[in-house]
Amino acid sequence: MTHPARKPTLIRLFIDSVMAHRLLWALLGLFALFPIVTIIFDQPFWNDIAMRIMVLGMAAMGLNLALGYGGMVSFGHAAFIGIGAYSVGICDYYGLTNGWAHFAISMAVCAGLGLVIGILSLRTSGIYFIMITLAFAQMLFFLFVSLETFGGDDGMSIDRADFLMIDLYEPLRLYFLIWLVLVIVASFLMFIVHSRFGVTLRGIKSNEQRIEAMGLTPLHYKITAYVISAVICGIAGTLFANWQEYVSPDIMHWTRSGELMIIIILGGLGTVAGPLLGAIVFLLLEEFLPELLHLFAPAYAENWMIIFGPLLVVVVLFGRGGISGLITTYMPKKSDQQVRHD
Amino acid sequence: MTFSLILEQAFNGLQAGVTLFLVAAGLTLILGIMDFVFLAHGAQVMIGAYAATAISLATGSFYLGILGAIPVTFVCGYLLEFLIIRHLYRRDHMDQVLATFGLILFFNEMIRIGFGPAALFSDLPTSLSGFVEILPDVPYPTYRLAVIVVGLLLAIGIHLFVSRTKLGAMVRAGASNPDMTAALGINISILFRFIFATGACLAGIAGMALAPITAVQPGMGEPLLILSLVVIIIGGIGSVRGAFIAAILVGLVDTLGRVFLPAMLRLVMDQSAADGAGPALASMLVYILMAVVLVFRPTGLFPVKG
Repeated sequence: MTHPARKPTLIRLFIDSVMAHRLLWALLGLFALFPIVTIIFDQPFWNDIAMRIMVLGMAAMGLNLALGYGGMVSFGHAAFIGIGAYSVGICDYYGLTNGWAHFAISMAVCAGLGLVIGILSLRTSGIYFIMITLAFAQMLFFLFVSLETFGGDDGMSIDRADFLMIDLYEPLRLYFLIWLVLVIVASFLMFIVHSRFGVTLRGIKSNEQRIEAMGLTPLHYKITAYVISAVICGIAGTLFANWQEYVSPDIMHWTRSGELMIIIILGGLGTVAGPLLGAIVFLLLEEFLPELLHLFAPAYAENWMIIFGPLLVVVVLFGRGGISGLITTYMPKKSDQQVRHD
Repeated sequence: MTFSLILEQAFNGLQAGVTLFLVAAGLTLILGIMDFVFLAHGAQVMIGAYAATAISLATGSFYLGILGAIPVTFVCGYLLEFLIIRHLYRRDHMDQVLATFGLILFFNEMIRIGFGPAALFSDLPTSLSGFVEILPDVPYPTYRLAVIVVGLLLAIGIHLFVSRTKLGAMVRAGASNPDMTAALGINISILFRFIFATGACLAGIAGMALAPITAVQPGMGEPLLILSLVVIIIGGIGSVRGAFIAAILVGLVDTLGRVFLPAMLRLVMDQSAADGAGPALASMLVYILMAVVLVFRPTGLFPVKG
């Protein structure tokens, strides 16, 4: 945090937040250099995994603002990923192929929906909040299943969007588009977390009454955080659709909301870098557990979840604070120092 | 659209409702007493269905299957609580969601390894496979009627147990204030292990009831889990009476919506579009119901804690 005597100018804030998030910058740097590794080993498939990690990590970072910082356990953020992905598909269907327009539409729709869902859901709290966000996500899921025009249950295949001067079908263009957006989202989140807004949000999470007694309206902060997190998930969804070149209601299935939570908890709640770390671990496990199983018990390679499920239980039982929690415990000077602020 | 069709579908809705109640009854107490988000309750339904099907296929008797499966699900619930769940009560909801999500993956995969990914089918005994005339010229499958009757009897049993017995009073006390109940000298952890195993057993019975009329396959419990969560939220967490009313409501809305919504949509749009959109829009109905209830009554229809 800034020293109270120092005037928190924007530049000062930015430098502080960069310094406090060395782990995150290191990860972003690794992702920028990763294509070199894939070229050396001649494994272009690895880039695909890295893109998936970045996109899901971005969505998890967005959810983490509501969940980790704001204490709002939303079980329905997959819906916003779906909206983001479908804004590419539906715009394509009506002949609008400009990628920037897709982004604008996806962000606008997610902001609007996030506002409505946020206002309605935040009337409740605790388990009721978890369930009402799930209910809204299920509604949207079934809405898209019912839209036969856009493929219904089977989904629709889509072409990668036109970004002026960038042809996403050229190698690595999509990779660096995703990377760039990830850097922007990460910087934005770092900035938010260190701003007055972010501090208030964390204050609300640890003691809502006290913030109210200070003359602030916690609900406004919570709704704002919810909307921002919805928009970030929408952006991630738009990128996801471009990467997958296909979208179906499956993208907003409730298990994906669960996956996002898994990613956040694996990485560590309430840190900016945590979700990205969590996404790396989650997707690498998903990718390599089957292969690992194949070495030891070839007959059961398909059943990798039999290892993954209990692994989650073990992480919850024994690993508090996720992976970045472990890292900060063992080398407190070299990584996020904002982990346990409250 | 005749009266007999409406009646038949209402009975189907009732059957879906009582089955949902069996799943929701245990879950509402698990959520209510220990404030524990237990997502693997759907796996208990699956375990019950598989145990009943496997035993009845092995012995050739449907009734032996049910009799054998009940202790299996009870023991499953008991061990699960003892080994894992009790360590998670004091954690926050996120941890509980994550751990029980992991348990879902584990159980689904266990079943897939043990029984294969394909669905299992079992036959009904001849005594239950016929039709009964519920009204003159309105036949209804005997088995579904039997499910309704058994489900209602169990519901009455649960109600009497919760409202009339000493153990039931402890359960209610636990639901409204666990700390105070513990302070009065009631061993909350043993009480909860018992409720947990009983809840697992009830969910298992729901699975057994569904086994002959649905596909018994890995992951079969999840749609039921989500629906029973909806039921619990509508009814008010921790309230068995609320769960019953909400379960019947959700069962009826879901079943009748699926049948009559496409027909109603056909009035306002063309046939093929209505047939495509109808079933999915019908699936939205229960969630709309839940959102409306929560917006106007943020703690459900029959809140326990106050």
